[in-house]
Amino acid sequence: MVANGKEIDPVGRQICSPMPACRINLLVLPFQVIAVPIKQSMARKEIENEITLTMNGSPVSGRAGMTILEVARENGIDIPTLCHVSRLPPSGVCRLCVVEVAGSRTLVGACHTPITEGMMVATHSPKILAARKILVELLMASHPDSCLICDKANICELRNIAADLEIGLPRFRARKHYYPLEYENPNIIRDMSKCILCRRCVVACQDLKGERLFSVAYRGFESKVVSGCDQPVDKEACQDCDECITLCPSGALRRPRRPGEERAKKALFIKG
Amino acid sequence: MPQENIVLKNCGVIDPRQIATFLERDGFQALEKVRREMTPEAVTDEIKASGLRGRGGAGFPCGLKWEGTRKAPGGEKYVICNADEGEVGTFKDRYILERDPFTLIEGMAIAGYTLGAKTGFIYLRAEYHHLFDLLENAIRQIEEFGFLANFTIEIREGAGAYICGEESALMDAMEGKRGEARYRPPFPTTAGLWGKPTIINNVETLMNIPRIIRNGAGWFNQMGTERSKGTKVFSVSGDVPKPGVYELVLGSSLRELVEGLALAKNTKMIQIGGATGRIVPYEQIDTPLTFESVLGAGAVIVFDQSRDVIDIVHRTMEFLAEESCGKCTPCRQGTEVMVETLARFHRGEGLKKDLKDLADLSEVMTLTSLCGLGQAASNAVTDSLQHFKDAYESRVAGN
Ligand SMILES: Cc1cc2nc3c(=O)[nH]c(=O)nc-3n(C[C@H](O)[C@H](O)[C@H](O)COP(=O)(O)O)c2cc1C
Ligand code: SF4
Ligand code: FES
Repeated sequence: MVANGKEIDPVGRQICSPMPACRINLLVLPFQVIAVPIKQSMARKEIENEITLTMNGSPVSGRAGMTILEVARENGIDIPTLCHVSRLPPSGVCRLCVVEVAGSRTLVGACHTPITEGMMVATHSPKILAARKILVELLMASHPDSCLICDKANICELRNIAADLEIGLPRFRARKHYYPLEYENPNIIRDMSKCILCRRCVVACQDLKGERLFSVAYRGFESKVVSGCDQPVDKEACQDCDECITLCPSGALRRPRRPGEERAKKALFIKG
Repeated sequence: MPQENIVLKNCGVIDPRQIATFLERDGFQALEKVRREMTPEAVTDEIKASGLRGRGGAGFPCGLKWEGTRKAPGGEKYVICNADEGEVGTFKDRYILERDPFTLIEGMAIAGYTLGAKTGFIYLRAEYHHLFDLLENAIRQIEEFGFLANFTIEIREGAGAYICGEESALMDAMEGKRGEARYRPPFPTTAGLWGKPTIINNVETLMNIPRIIRNGAGWFNQMGTERSKGTKVFSVSGDVPKPGVYELVLGSSLRELVEGLALAKNTKMIQIGGATGRIVPYEQIDTPLTFESVLGAGAVIVFDQSRDVIDIVHRTMEFLAEESCGKCTPCRQGTEVMVETLARFHRGEGLKKDLKDLADLSEVMTLTSLCGLGQAASNAVTDSLQHFKDAYESRVAGN
C-alpha cells in the first residue's frame, strides 16, 4: 500500500514489493484526492486542536472533529466509499470505508469515526481488503446483471469499485429485486432494482433541498427507498434539482431521456 | 454453585399491585439510603466496585456506563429501562415485570438520582401490552407515596421489532423514527435519546441496583467469578421437562441448570443467548455460565437428539434476516445470503465451497456490521460449523 508516497505494510514496516491485492491503492484517481474540500472542512469545525495519530505506520495529524476518512484523504490515502458524500453528514451504511483501529474489536467506519490522539489506523491491511471485497460481492450478488445496457455503466461507482477490488463473478447467491420502473415524474426515472441502498438520495433531498421526498421503507433485504408510502415521486414536490440523480452511485436514478433524444434536434448530413 | 434468589427475591412473595406488600420487604430503603447518605459519585463508585455487568446481552460494566453518563456534559439526561425483551427464548424480564415492578422502578429512580435526570422511560415490548396497566399502577402508587420525588417515569410501548431492543435503534424508535442501529461513537453515555446523555439498562441489571446499594458492593462481588459477579436469571426452554425461569450464581455450570434444574435428558446441544447466541454441544455441558464463556441475555434453549442442527441454524438465520433493519450492507445482504445457503444445505443441495464462503462471510459480518445483530448473526453458523461439521458435509450435493 502507499502512504505518503512510501510503500508500507499494514503495520507500518516498509516493504519492497506491494502485494497484488494492495495495488488498487495505486489507482487513486487524482480528482478523488483533490475533491476533498480541505478549507471547507476546516471551516466546519469550531475547534482546531491538533491531533496526532498514526496511519499505516506514518505519523499524521488532523484537527479535532475530523474523521479518519478526512485525515486519510488529506494525506493522499484513498479509502473507498459508497455511501459517503463529503458535503453531507455521514450515514455509515455501506461499510466500505472500514479500517482497522488498534484496540477495536471490530473494524471501524472511517467516514464517521472521529480521530483521537494516538490512534493507530491501518487502511489497507489484507484483513480490510478481504472485508471490502466481500462487502462489494454482497452488493453485486443482488444487483441485476444489466451493466451492458445500463445508462450509467460508465460512471457507476459500484462497478468502478468492483473493478478496483478485482471482483469477478460474485461468489454469493442472493435474490434479485425486480421492481417496476418508476417514470411517472418528468424529472426523474427510478429503477429500484439497481439501488444499493446507500441512502445518498434520502440524505441529499433532506439536507440540500430541505425536502423529504425519499425515505427507507420495509426492512432487512426487503428494504427499499420509497417516496411517500411507496408511491410514484410526487410531480409537485420534485423540483428538477438533479441533486439525487447526480449523487446516485448506481444506475438507480437517472434523468428521463428517451433513446436518441439528444440527437433529436440536430440533423447532420454527410456524404454517403 | 447454588441457586440464589437475589434479583427474584420478591417474585411470588409480594403482590405486584400492592405497594404495601413491597414496603414490608425493605422496599425503597436503597433509594432512601442513596438520597440521604450518598452523593451521585458515591453511587457510581459503589456500582463500579460491585462489578455488576449489563444483563441485556452485551455484559458492559454497569458502573462505567453510569459514571460516563454522570460525567458527560449536558443538563438534561435520561434513564431508559430496556424492557423490549426480544431475544429468542428469553422471558425472564416478563417474569420479573409481572411479579416485582417496584424494585425495577426503585433501580430506575436510583439511576435518575445519580444523573440528576428528571425523566425515565420504560421501553416495553409490544407483546407485553398486558403489563402496561400493572406498571402504570406501580408507578402511580410509588408517586402517591412520594418516593419518586421529582423524577417521572413514562412507559413507551414498542411496535414489535427485534432490532428495537438494540439500544440505539430503541432510541431512534422512541424519537419517532424508523428503528435502526446508529453508528458509534457517539455512545448513549454522551449522546443518547434526543442526543442527550442516557443510561440504558436491561430490566435485570436495574433490579440488581437496589440490592447492591442496600447490601454493599462487597456483598455482591463475593458471588460469581472474577469477571462475572452476582447472579443471573435464566430463561430455560426447549426439550426439557421443566422449562422456566431460574436464578443462579454466575459461574454455575450449564449442566447444573439444564440437567439439574430443568431435568433435560438426551441433550444434543444448547443454544445460549438466543438467535444471536452461541451453540454449545453436549460434550461441553460443564461449561461455566459466565460472561467470559457464554451467557448473552440468559436464554437457554435445549435441543435433544431428535433435532436437526441445520434446521435449527437455518431457522435462526431466517429470523435474523427477517429482523435485520436493513441499514448496513453486511447484515442486510449477509443474512440473505446465509438463508439462501442454509436452505440449500437443508435440502441436501449444499456445495463444498459453501463451507468456506460461510466462514468468510461470518467473519466479515462480525467485523463490519453496525450493531450487535449483524455482528452476532453468524454465531450459530460459526459454532455449528465448528461442532457439527458432519451435519453440513453430509448435506453436500452428491453425498
Ligand atoms: C439485536 C439486538 C437486540 C437486543 N435486544 C435487547 C432486549 O430486548 N433487551 C435488552 O435489555 N437488551 C437488548 N439488547 C442489548 C442492548 O443493545 C443494550 O446492550 C442493553 O440494553 C444495555 O443494557 P445492559 O447494559 O443493562 O445490558 C439487544 C441488542 C441487540 C444487538
Ligand atoms: S437510489 Fe441511488 S442514491 Fe438512492 S439509495 Fe439507491 S443507490 Fe443510493
Ligand atoms: S462510506 Fe463509510 S460506511 Fe459508507
